[in-house]
Amino acid sequence: MLKLLEKLSPAECPKLLHRVVDGLCGRSLPKRMEYGETWSLLEWGELISSLTNIFRVAVGKKCSDQEVQEMLGDLESVHAEAILQCVHARQEEIKQALVDRTNRICSSQLDDFNWQLKLALSSDKLSSLNTPLLNLCLDLTENGIQRAVTIEMNKEELNTLITTLEAANKVMLQMK
Amino acid sequence: MEEVDRILIHSLRQAGTDIDEDVQSVKQFSSELIVQAVVRCLRVIDPAVGNGLSPTLPPGMSARFRVGMSLAQACQDLGYKGEIGYQTFLYSNEPEIRSLLMFLVEKLPRESAEVSDQPAGKSALLQKAIAAQIKAQLALPWLPPSCRLPMHRKTQSPGPCHSFHAQPLSLPYSLKVPAKKQSKELKEYWREYLLPVTSQPSQAASVPASLLENHVSELSAAQEWENEWNSQGLLSRLTPEDYRSRKRMRLQKRIEEQLRAAAQSRPDTHNATRSTSDLSELLNSFAGATTGGDVLTKGTRFTHSEKFTFTQEPEKAAQQMAAAASALPSSHQSEEDLKAQQEAELSALQQQLQQLSVQMEEVGGDIRQLTVSIHQVSDELTQREVRNSERENTVRVKKQTIDLLPDAENNLIKLQSLVEASSKRVVHLASQWEKHRAPLIDEHRRLKELCGNREMESSRKLSEIKDLHDKIRQSAEEAKKKESLYKQLITEYETLPKDVSRSAYTMRILEIVGNIKKQKEEITKILSDTKDLQKEINGLTGKLDRTFAVTDELVFKDAKKDESVRKSYKYLAALHENCSQLIQTIEDTGSIMREIRDLEEQIETENGKKTVSNLEKILEDYKAIRQENSALAAKIREG
Repeated sequence: MLKLLEKLSPAECPKLLHRVVDGLCGRSLPKRMEYGETWSLLEWGELISSLTNIFRVAVGKKCSDQEVQEMLGDLESVHAEAILQCVHARQEEIKQALVDRTNRICSSQLDDFNWQLKLALSSDKLSSLNTPLLNLCLDLTENGIQRAVTIEMNKEELNTLITTLEAANKVMLQMK
Repeated sequence: MEEVDRILIHSLRQAGTDIDEDVQSVKQFSSELIVQAVVRCLRVIDPAVGNGLSPTLPPGMSARFRVGMSLAQACQDLGYKGEIGYQTFLYSNEPEIRSLLMFLVEKLPRESAEVSDQPAGKSALLQKAIAAQIKAQLALPWLPPSCRLPMHRKTQSPGPCHSFHAQPLSLPYSLKVPAKKQSKELKEYWREYLLPVTSQPSQAASVPASLLENHVSELSAAQEWENEWNSQGLLSRLTPEDYRSRKRMRLQKRIEEQLRAAAQSRPDTHNATRSTSDLSELLNSFAGATTGGDVLTKGTRFTHSEKFTFTQEPEKAAQQMAAAASALPSSHQSEEDLKAQQEAELSALQQQLQQLSVQMEEVGGDIRQLTVSIHQVSDELTQREVRNSERENTVRVKKQTIDLLPDAENNLIKLQSLVEASSKRVVHLASQWEKHRAPLIDEHRRLKELCGNREMESSRKLSEIKDLHDKIRQSAEEAKKKESLYKQLITEYETLPKDVSRSAYTMRILEIVGNIKKQKEEITKILSDTKDLQKEINGLTGKLDRTFAVTDELVFKDAKKDESVRKSYKYLAALHENCSQLIQTIEDTGSIMREIRDLEEQIETENGKKTVSNLEKILEDYKAIRQENSALAAKIREG
């Protein structure tokens, strides 16, 4: 698979490699349009996946340079050198990304949250309510599936939530 | 006086009276102006009363009279203590008007300052701004979408809103990468290939979210580290790196223990199949839901679980799994085949794993038993050896005594001398040892004291450091608060109206107070001088009287006999008489001068009252009223 990398000139190699590492770290992968002429769609997919694997294994197993060279097999030395340099430069980032991925082993992970503040003016039973309400929207990832959970709270419930979270934080700090 | 007038005129203008620009003092107030000012003040003070009065003087004399009376009544109701009547308004004089106006201006209600006496913090300001905005927005009427102006777009239509999605960013020179780990390749990456932060996330809308997330995580990590270091780190007296590495080891050990406990607790209750199947489930879940491409990631996950330190066999099995998986042909197989193959492998390997773990258990039990028996046997062996050596010793001693028995007495003497010599030697050695021991013990004590002192010093310094930290934090907070207060007050000051210069007034007031103080001092001085003079005068008069009485008697006694003495007595009497007359005239002159001064003052005040013009006005008004009366009477007679 990695032989496909040889179709790219050594000068442009690092750019592609760094974009692949960006994709590994949670940002976007390199755009197919920029490299449309060099590889076909299938080749592109294989190349990206094998590059990602190389990076993961190289940093995850803390391989030395020789081992990485062995894994690369019969790739040309220029390209192998470029891959090695990329691994050295981005080692910390890749390690952090792998650790984050391992952290997601637990059942659900909170990605982001959003909140909106609403003022309920009246309802069908009362003509003037004037209660402030908070709409909290949590983006969760469960077993790879993303879903959004929405909660609507008034002031006391929000205070309860905040105190519970603070207590959890204290327990976590004590564990450390 | 001018300042008082200026302040009065300014306050009257604020109350609504419209005074001309060139009217500078109360003296120039005409009757109409006075009436207008008083009515407007009354309207502000007490709207019920003031609205019943008109600010303009009616032309008719009797109406004017009535207006004057009602105004006087209203002012008296308010509590004005001076003498007031219709003449104060119609035929005014300066001091009365001034005191009345001052009384009314004082009664004017103070402008209620907005409750901004307490300098509000930033969050209170923000909340006030939010409340003002919401109030303004609620005041606008709702318009249907087709009628909305662009300025309503923000408040009345939902508008574009982006939810908060954060993506991890890559920043050079962040806190996470210490300086020594910046390799050459890393610097080259930063120089050539690292995109600017604003183009790193995949969507432009996530840029602020990602930046916020990045900063907040770094900030909270830094704060947590600060807190921990200040509370526990300083106490442990280690360098930061040592503390961190120790903490990491401690946490790793804890995680290992917990995972091992959780993974191995099952075999106690059920058979080994449960544990291995759970474990393999866990390990499978590492691989994620994707297939095919993640083949090598299984190997990666096992590096993380290396820390479990399983025995060799499961690791071998795992490696076999990884090897088998990587031996999968990279040719294009369809995904279902791949899946089926993997599942078959999985089940086979699971069975293997179960068998191996059972074996492992048995072998472990055997090993334990054997080690216990080995311990026992070695203990016995050592005991027996000890006993053997003891017995050998006793045998040797008995043999020696038996050898020595034939030559008993000589040997006894020899033995005794030997014993004495050896006891002497022991004593000698003991004394030497004592000599040697004493300085060493002193040294030991001294070093221990030193050590103790040093510990106390270091704990004292630690507490000092903590105090300094607290002080630093407190002063930083205070400085921040004061700066924000300063900024807020400056903005408030700029928005304040600048027409009345308070500083000029305050300076003038302070000057006046100083002057008054000086004058008071002078007055007290003069008073004391006067008192002294009066005392002197009294003393002198007393002396004079006494001297005169004595001389009088003396001369009178001699006067009966001698003629010249009688003459001198007459002269004496005349002298006394004249001098007392002189003194009397001087005193009279003094009192007359005082009266002159008082009268001059009275003349001045009377002049200020412009009584003459008022009298002329009164005469005219009287004539006008009489005419009105006659006109009205004529009308009545006619009609």
